[in-house]
This record gives sequence, C-alpha cells and structure tokens, in this order.
Amino acid sequence: MTSLKRSLVSDPYASNISSKVYVRSTKAGKVQKIVRELYLRQDIPCSSKLCTACLKNAPRDASGILAPFVLSAKPAGTKKYTQGHYLVPDTNALLNALDLFEQKSAFYDVIILQTVLEELRNRSIPLYNRLIGLTKSEEKRFHVFFNDFRLETYVTRGEGVSINDRNDRAVRRAVKWYSEHLAQAVKAADGKSGQVPAVVMLSDDKENLKKAKKDGIDSCSLREYVDGLDDANNLLDMIAVVKEGREIKDTKMVQKVHKDYLTVSKMMTGVKNGTLHQGIFNVTPYNYLVGSIKVPAFDKPLMILGRESMNRAVHGDVVVVEVLTKDQWKEASTKIIEEETINKDENADAEDGEAVVTEREQRALQEEVKRVHSKTSEGRAQPTAKVVGVIKRNWRQCVGHIEESSVSKSGKPQMVFLIPMDKKIPKIRVRTRQAAEIVGKRVLVTIDSWDVDSRYPVGHFVRSLGDVENKAAETEALLLEYDVQYRPFPKAVLDCLPAEGHDWIVPPSTDDPGWQDRRDLRHLQICSIDPIGCQDIDDALHARPLPNGNFEVGVHIADVSHFVKPNSAMDAEASIRGTSVYLVDKRIDMLPMLLGTDLCSLKPYVQRYAFSAIWEITPDAEIVNSEFTKSVIKSREAFSYEQAQLRVDDQSQQDDLTLAIRTLLTLSKKFKQKRMDAGALSLSSPEVKVEMESETSDPIDVKTKKHLDTMSLVEEFMLLANTSVAAKIYSAFPQTAMLRRHGAPPKTNFEELALQLKTKRGLELSVDSSKALADSLDTCIDPNEPFFNTLVRIMATRCMMAAEYFCSGTQAYPEFRHYGLASEIYTHFTSPIRRYADLVAHRQLAAAIDYEPIHAAVRSKGKLEAVCRNINVRHRNAQLAGRASIEYYVGQALKGRIVEEEGFVMKVFSNGFVVFVPRFGIESLIRLRDLAEPEPEGVFDAEEYVLETKGSREIRVELFGKVVVRISDVLEEKTGKRVVKSEFVKSGGKE
Amino acid sequence: MAPQSLQQILLSPAELSYLHTSLSSNPPIRPDGRTATQFRPLIAESDILPGTNGSARICFADGTEAVVGVKAEVERSSGISRDVDGEGEGEEGVKKGRNEWVEISVDIPGERDDDSNPIFLAAVLSEALLADGEFVERLWINRHFHWRLYLDVLLLSPPLSYPLPLLSLTTHLALLTTRLPKLLSEKDEDPLFSDDWDASEPLYHPPHTSHPPITLLVMAVQETIIFDPSKEELAVADAVLAVSLSESPTSNSSSQDTEMEMDVEGGKKRNLRLLAVRTIDPPSRLTHKGLANKVNTATGGTAQKNLEDGGGDGEEGVWCPPRGGAKRGLIKEMIGRVLERGGVGEEVLDGLCGAEL
Repeated sequence: MTSLKRSLVSDPYASNISSKVYVRSTKAGKVQKIVRELYLRQDIPCSSKLCTACLKNAPRDASGILAPFVLSAKPAGTKKYTQGHYLVPDTNALLNALDLFEQKSAFYDVIILQTVLEELRNRSIPLYNRLIGLTKSEEKRFHVFFNDFRLETYVTRGEGVSINDRNDRAVRRAVKWYSEHLAQAVKAADGKSGQVPAVVMLSDDKENLKKAKKDGIDSCSLREYVDGLDDANNLLDMIAVVKEGREIKDTKMVQKVHKDYLTVSKMMTGVKNGTLHQGIFNVTPYNYLVGSIKVPAFDKPLMILGRESMNRAVHGDVVVVEVLTKDQWKEASTKIIEEETINKDENADAEDGEAVVTEREQRALQEEVKRVHSKTSEGRAQPTAKVVGVIKRNWRQCVGHIEESSVSKSGKPQMVFLIPMDKKIPKIRVRTRQAAEIVGKRVLVTIDSWDVDSRYPVGHFVRSLGDVENKAAETEALLLEYDVQYRPFPKAVLDCLPAEGHDWIVPPSTDDPGWQDRRDLRHLQICSIDPIGCQDIDDALHARPLPNGNFEVGVHIADVSHFVKPNSAMDAEASIRGTSVYLVDKRIDMLPMLLGTDLCSLKPYVQRYAFSAIWEITPDAEIVNSEFTKSVIKSREAFSYEQAQLRVDDQSQQDDLTLAIRTLLTLSKKFKQKRMDAGALSLSSPEVKVEMESETSDPIDVKTKKHLDTMSLVEEFMLLANTSVAAKIYSAFPQTAMLRRHGAPPKTNFEELALQLKTKRGLELSVDSSKALADSLDTCIDPNEPFFNTLVRIMATRCMMAAEYFCSGTQAYPEFRHYGLASEIYTHFTSPIRRYADLVAHRQLAAAIDYEPIHAAVRSKGKLEAVCRNINVRHRNAQLAGRASIEYYVGQALKGRIVEEEGFVMKVFSNGFVVFVPRFGIESLIRLRDLAEPEPEGVFDAEEYVLETKGSREIRVELFGKVVVRISDVLEEKTGKRVVKSEFVKSGGKE
Repeated sequence: MAPQSLQQILLSPAELSYLHTSLSSNPPIRPDGRTATQFRPLIAESDILPGTNGSARICFADGTEAVVGVKAEVERSSGISRDVDGEGEGEEGVKKGRNEWVEISVDIPGERDDDSNPIFLAAVLSEALLADGEFVERLWINRHFHWRLYLDVLLLSPPLSYPLPLLSLTTHLALLTTRLPKLLSEKDEDPLFSDDWDASEPLYHPPHTSHPPITLLVMAVQETIIFDPSKEELAVADAVLAVSLSESPTSNSSSQDTEMEMDVEGGKKRNLRLLAVRTIDPPSRLTHKGLANKVNTATGGTAQKNLEDGGGDGEEGVWCPPRGGAKRGLIKEMIGRVLERGGVGEEVLDGLCGAEL
C-alpha cells in the first residue's frame, strides 16, 4: 500500500517543510490539537548593508518594491569589539532591560530574532509593543529577522528537549549563521576579514552563555556589555533587578513575608463558581492602608484593609479577592494615614526578617477597630476581603523622588527608596549608583517585581527629569503621571498634512471638487466667541431674522474630518491621544498645530471649511426644523467672551453682527430656562485662573473665573448642536453611533451628603430625579453665607457618576440619558480639534447626510468600543492633569507670600479636617498635629460632624463651617518639594 | 446477525461442496495454502492524521483497508453527585467512568449510518472496549470534567469480506497511539492543560497497564477450526464466532518468569482475557442446496417426483447449507484456541506491538 504519512524522504521539497504541533485551550474550555505547517525559505535577507548576495535574492512585494536594508555597513564598535558589532539580544535581556535599548547613546544595529520576538510577546505585551515601536523607528536600526522561516537557521526540537532550550539553541544557531554569512559577504566584496562586524549575543542566562562559548559565538551578559560602553554608570542602573543569587539565600529559610498567590487554575475555578471575585484594585486617596475593589457580586465595593490583606496588589491591578468571614469584617476608616509619615526612616537595604505589618502600622489600624457604637453607615462593619492572586499587573512608569533619609552619601551602588508622586503607589526599592546625584531630582522609575519575601516592590530607574522645583521637570512629571503623549508628532503623522502647509486655501472656484456638496455660506455674518488668546477656534455662530418672523440660527464647526482621514497615521495618533490636554501654560495638542490653529481653525477674515448645523427657531425658542450640511464660511470676527459682552452691552453698536449676537443671547437665555425646567443641573467646579507675568510666565495671581452671559450663549448653542447631531447619527446608525451619556447616580452615593446636610442644616436633598435634585440644590442656601450653595454644589458634583462616551449598540435607549443635562440623547460634536470623539461624530454625521460613504472603521462596533474605552480614560487623565497643573501653579504663585483666606470645612476626620479655599480653588488637609506642639487631643463626634480639641490648643470645627486659614508655601525638607501649607487660624469669617 | 449486504456469493454448489470438503480435512487444505492458524500479512501504520489525537491505518492482503481516527474533547460531567466535598463519590481517589464517554462510529462505503451493519459493528467494537469497565477510568479528569472520546472508524474499500477483524485491529492500533494533553491543574479545579504536545501522555501508558482489545473471527468447518478466514472460506463455514480479547495487566509474580523468556521467543507471555463472544451468521446459510447427479436431469438422472424422496441429502459431494447451531464443545474449543498461550491471540498482539511507534 502507499503510505498516507507525509514521507519526508521521497518529497523533493521535504527539507523545506516542517510542522509545529501544539495544544490550544479556548476560553470556553475546549482543548484542541493544532498542527501548523511551516514552509522554510532560503531568500529571507540578512538586511545588512554589507551583503550584496541577499540584495540580489531578496523578495519583492506586489509592487516590486524591495524593503530597504537596515543594518549599517559600519556599525559602532566597543572596547571589546573594535571592528564594529551587531547585537542579538536574547529574550531575558529584553525583558530585563528594554529601557536600555531605548537609550539614544548606545544600542544601534540590533537584530531581533523572530523566536525572541514571539517569546517576548507571550511574556509581556506592553514590552512587546515597545519593542515593535523601536523596530519601526528608523534611527535605531533594529531589524526583525525571521529565523524560524529561514531554512538555514531553523531548529527542530529534539526528544525530551524543553521549549526554552530549543529557543536558546535557535538563537545561537542564528547568531552563528549571521557571523558566517557576514564573513562571506565581506569576502565577496573583497574586503579584509578585519572588517567583518562581530555578531554578539546578549543574554543573562548562564546556561546559554556557556553553550555559546562552546559553539564559538561572541556573547556576553548584559552587565559585561554595558560596562564596556561609555556612560556605563547611568546605564547599569537601568538593568532590572534580576533574580540571580536567590539560590544562595534559599539555604537559610527565606522568610515569607506575604502569602503566596493561588495558581491560575484555582483562581479561575473560584471566580467561575463564585467563591472568589475579580476586579480592579483601588487604593483610597486618604488612607494608603485601605483599598477597595468593585466586584459584580456586591453593590458596594469590598474593602481591603491592611498590608497583609493587600498582598502585593498595586493600585490599578486586576486582582482576585476572597471575602473574609463576617467576624473579620472591619469598619470604614475615618483616619488619614499616609505612608510617608508612618513608614519613614526605614532601611532600604533590609531584606531579611521583615514583618509585613510594622508596629506603627498595626497601631494605626487598631485604633480603627476601637469604634464607638454609632448609627451611621461608617460605624457598621462592611464586607472586607483579602487579595489571593493577581491576574494582570498594570504597572506603569511612575514619577517620584528619592527619599533622602534612605540615601547614604557614598558613591557605591546602594538600594534607595523612591516615593512616587501618586500617593496610591507604595515606596519602591531601587538599586542605583548615582544616589547622590539624583537626590532632589524628579525621576522616572518602573516597578519590576514584588516578591513574596519582600516588604516593598523592587524597580529600576529609567531616567531623570530634572530638578524638583524646575518647571519643565514638573510639567513633564505631570504629563508622565497621567500618561499623556507629549512627544512631538512623528514624521509619519506630519506626512498626512496637506502639502501646501500654511498656504492652503479653500479652492477659489466653485467647480473645484473640493466644493462638491458644500454649501456656500460665505455671505453669512458669522462670528466666533472664545476665551482670550484662543487660537484653535472650533466653532462659530450666526443668526439672522427670517421673513416669517422666525430666526435662522447656525452653528458652524471646523471641518476636521476633511483633513484627518480614517486609518491614516494622523488618525491613529489622534485616536491614541484622545483629547488635547490643557495645562496652565502649555497645551498638548491632539492634532498637529498646522491643522489645529490654522487650516481647521475658523479664523476670522479667511475662508474655511466647516460643518454647519442650521435651525429655524421661533422667537420663543422652539425649533421648527433643522438641517446639517458641509459648507464654506468666512468668519467676520473672533471675539473673546469679554469683548463680546462689552459689545452687546454697548447700546451704540447696532450693526448686523451685534444684533445677531443679541438675538443669540436672548434665545440662549430662553433655551437655558427650558433646560432648567426640564431638570438640568447646574453644578460647580472650582474654576480658577492663574495670571502670569508675561515675560517669565511666573504666576502672579490666582483668580476665580467670572461667569459671563456670553459664556452661557456659546454653551447653550453648543448643547443644542450636540443634541441635534446625536439624534441624527443615532437614527442613521442605531448600533454604532458615538454618543455620550451620564448615568443617574445611585442613591447610595448621595447618602452621606444628604445625611450631612440634614444633620447640620436641616436641609433636604432629594435625589429622585435630576429635576428634584436641581430644585433641592436650589433650596440649599444659607442666608448668611452666599458661598454655601456653591460649596454644596461642588460636593454634589463629586457624588455624581462620571459621564462617558459609549457606542449606541451597547446600551438600551433609556440608558442614553444625560442626567446632568437632562437630555435624552447626547454626543460631543462641537470640538473636533481637541477631542477625538467629536471627529468620529463628524464622520458619522457626514455619512448620515450622504456626503460621503461611511468608512469601515467608523462602522465597526468592536473598534468603536475600543475607541470609547480609550477616550474615556484619556479624558479623565486630561482633567486630572489640568487640575494638577493648576495646583502646582497655585503653589508657585504663593511662593514667598503668606495669605490669609476664608475657607469652608468640607470633610471631618478623627485626626484632621479638609478645608476648601474658594479663592484658590484648593482643598487642604489640616491635621491635628499641625495645630500645635504637642498634638492636642481630639474629640470626634461622628454623628454631628464636629471635631473639638483639648490640650495645647482648643478649637472647634464643624462641617460646612467657615474658617480662616493662613496659606503659605513651604519647602518640605525631606522631599525638597514646595507644598501649599494651610494653617488654621480660627473658626468664623475674616472680620 | 446475517451480513446481508455483503456481496453475494457467486460460487456454485459444487464449488461450495469442494471447499467444504477440503476445509474439513485434518489438517485443513485452504485455497491459498495457509495453515489453520496462519494469518495473511497485513500492513499497518499509525499517526497518519496529524489533526487527531491518535490514528492508524491497516491494509489487509485482500485489498481491504481501514482508517481510524481518535479525537478527544473535554466535557463537563453531569449527574455525578454535586454533594458538598467529602460525600457522594467518596474520596477523590475514586474515579468512576461512564460508558457514554466513548462514542464509536463506523462508516462503510455504500451503507447508510443507520443500516444494521454499521451499527452492529460499532456495537461489537464498543462492547469489547468497555467490557472491562477500566477503560473509561482513563478518561476521568476530575469530579466535574472528563474526556469524551470519539472514535471514527472508516472502511476505505468496499466490503469484500467481513470487515470486523480489520476494523478491530485498526482501532486497537489507533488507541495505542492516542495521546491526551497533559493536565496541569490540580484536583477539582477547572482543567488547564499544557500547550506542549510533546508533553502529552498516551492513553495507554506502556507497558504496565492493559491494552486495547482486539476482535478476531474464528470459523469452524465440521471439527476443523480455521483462523483469518477469507471470503470463500466464510462461504462454507458451519459456525463463525467473533471473539474479543485483551491483555490483562500482568501481575508481579509472573513478570519475572516472563522476562527471562522474552528474548527466546521474541514476545512475552501475555495474560489474555476473554471479553466477548458473538456468533456471526455465516453467509453459507443463504446458499442453495446442491443437486445430486442422480436426480439432476442434466447429468442423466431422473428428477425427483416428490420431495420426500430426499435423494442427495447428506450425500457426499453434494452441498447442503448448514443448519442448526454449533455444538457447545466446538465453541469451547474455538475460544480456547484463541486464548491459549502461544496461540493466535498472542501472535496478533505481538504483531501489532511491532507496528506501534
């Protein structure tokens, strides 16, 4: 009979075919045997500019274009390899020190093998993504060589050989082949053998290095290699802490400080049958020993109390928890506990015999347990849990500074503690040689691991940002903390801009294809109203009376979707950035400036492309009809809010433009009234403006923003536009419209605030509907204190859910509601220059009006959901970054000054209270021990929200009470930071 | 059961009688010159289907060939007690299997799935496999999960002879080479398997546990017992049995003896165990009676006037389809021959072992 088996002997192509067999388990639990055939080739090029043979045989793509060779003909040399060298890193070298490879000072001409790339992808996706970014950058000259597809470098696994060993052998084989191949190439070009660059394998695996020596391959460990480079000291710090040397320690019993994690299968089984729960671990902002986790099974988040229960989970990780038995449930914390204070003066080097919970921590926790029996929910025990395993770590690079007390002044390598800027992340142990130099600087570090036997996580140093007080360093630190992409736009993105650059104009002739389907609205009296100094003008308005007594009102938005096409590099970059970030003195743009401030911006006196929404409105602000169209406009004037307000108020001005603005103003007032009647909320965030000296950009003063009528004008019409567009794109794309919703807050969020208002002021807060809430907020006034109402609104804002972008197919229609605006359906449409969501809405609207066919990317629900997730995160980060920037500047504005200001008590703890100062828009924490030396004894009445002190100083503060604080800036000795410090002066107002 | 759809026997009564006579002599004279216990050579290969967990292919000398593929799937166990830990099934060491976990399907060209032949063959094969009750224990993963095994038996050539031994041997070989992914999780957790196929474990760990069963056809012509009957030989059989046997695990005491004799005989002594015996209706029952010369008008005889004359009944040389069953003694003898030491069963198992891996 003829054999059915693929007989490799008789097949002429047999040596070129190989197969891989493995087992794949699907999520549903199916287990499949997968067989993949591999066709091995001989024409995969080595990509070295020295080699002409590969150039001849290299495969070309469909258009006949050859991928250019990357590796340079004259690569850099080191002390050891003077004739130049190419580097071939092993997987562990990349895992431990990817930051090193990203350095500009060394590590060029690197060959990344396919085996190594795939192993890296299986181990760590973020590192893999970073490596791919490196390979795409042209200046670093990284080349991915597909050694598993190339016949000469393909290695089969022997019997009983592990996958790791096989991969190591593949790496060695590839290195050997490369050196032989290059030698041949140089010989063919009649070069001397001294010119052949060495091919060096970098690995931290001792076995691999030994075998490489036996095979006669150039190899060295990372440390050795880095030693041979200039700038070795800096670079050596960046190598992550490796686990070697642990074997020696094992002989004396390594004391397990934390509990081991459960195995993955145990955790999965537990989650599936409901005994364990999975969720994202959060640390509470005021108390670093208390964490919480929201799981689907419980309404309220579960509490995780204490270091032992947290078991090495870091804020943001996806963890699995087990609920503790009822007798172990603890009460919610009313103390402020900061790691800095409790755990200072610890020895960074101490690695043995550490307890998880130090005495000081234990004491702090124990005082929690001594609770007076009380009626509030704070007194009752809440479900508590402990962490039993981590599914995914979300460690990112964090910014922080070295703890001074942990540094010894010698130049030797030592372990120091790094305190991250974000209080939710614990101290990190870092080994460095340059401790003395980087004290007092802001540095960037990454956490590498947190072992079972270590009290703190261990990490490595990436780079220094600059001195702590230095503005540039601080700004960079802020941007890094909130994960804002601030690097300049790469070349690929800039290539997407129109070639004419600043000379681009709207085509003058209306027959030009650019005019197709665009309406000519250049005759309309259009103007824009924006903050002072605004250059990226997104929106413009016009209004004119119609013969039938109604008004024609138009909102014109910059037509960004004309310039940013889907799936282009610029679109990808904008999608990742998600939004423009506004810091006090800087703006990180989502789109390149050419578009944002020139071509797309609706600047006055020039013609621009726009996307217009035009309504016919009765004088009573009823909408008769609406339409959307692409257009060309010419804005007549660009006003600032103040200028527009002045112009409206000035009765002598009677030209068309001013009349139009007045019409808009009256209509906007009517719209606003309608919204309020429907239950829209007017909530307050503390808005603060920092005035800066023009030359040095040093802040002079801080003022709260005044609210003008013209601001409401613009706001109302933007809301109208957004709502109309939302309805239109939803009707065209019911499954995939990009919308924005604001969920109704659950009653429990308001419980505490309602109780506080009732107890202190006898006021009712009704949360049945947004109208009820709005009305009851209106009644929360204090006749003696006008600011009280704003304070309550600020606190109410914090109880709200966050508004989020979503894809219409993922929610039912009732969920589309925007609670805060009391609108059934809403989206963001009016700021495409600074928000990616608006750009998507533009594309969808253009398809809805049949201007252009819908692009697949904007139609796919999966893609849109991913986009929504990203922009929600970016939006939040941008807000936080903006606030942090204001805080920093407020601190700077106060430099050297001492100001006494009025404030209001927002929150009361047993050992302190939080004061909100409206002038600066800041919240400061005043601890009992800050009041006087020695610390006065505090008596905390949890039900009446009153804190009284006895002893060295006697004060009485109550919630919502007015106090006077002295605000100054102080240089903290141990951190070298300048912080805003508030001192309590007295209760009551400033007389 | 009568294999009715097998090709009709195109032998005349004279030929049938001739065959019958030569086979019933002692030693039997077989048309192809084999001895009573001699098997025709076969060609076997395993692991021919890379996508399956195990596969095999056997071609018999008469041109019939069969392919068997084994696939395994993880399935949640139901009905096994959901009691709180400690009760119900007893300790976790108790593995209880169920016969539903094995599904055998036989495909014969020219027949539908629900024809009696494929169903009968599938039943015989699964009966043999499940008879000892120990096979399904290998499929147990933990209290909540088990493997479900699908055996697809395909006869590739038209059924020229009774396909049972071919299918059975092919199934045996396929099961021997079946591998299951290696389990990484412990105890009652949701099963997690290793990605590495090379780490997978064979279903039958060599060499100590038992082997999959085989089913052989044994036929008897009067007192003579013949193995591996060809189509013509089956046409004249008096009794045909399908005997399923397997090797039981060797006990410790006898292993020492067997090891010493291993080299000498080229095969170890096995402990064979009878699993099942089924009678097969031989096709000879469907043949027609021959006519004696003296009553055949074509050869100068006179036709019978009435049936009672009965001439030619039992006359030598005149074919008569067999009637009635086989004697007990004969059946016992047939089974004994299969199972005896150094007998046919061992020979077949040895042969197949050689094809393995």
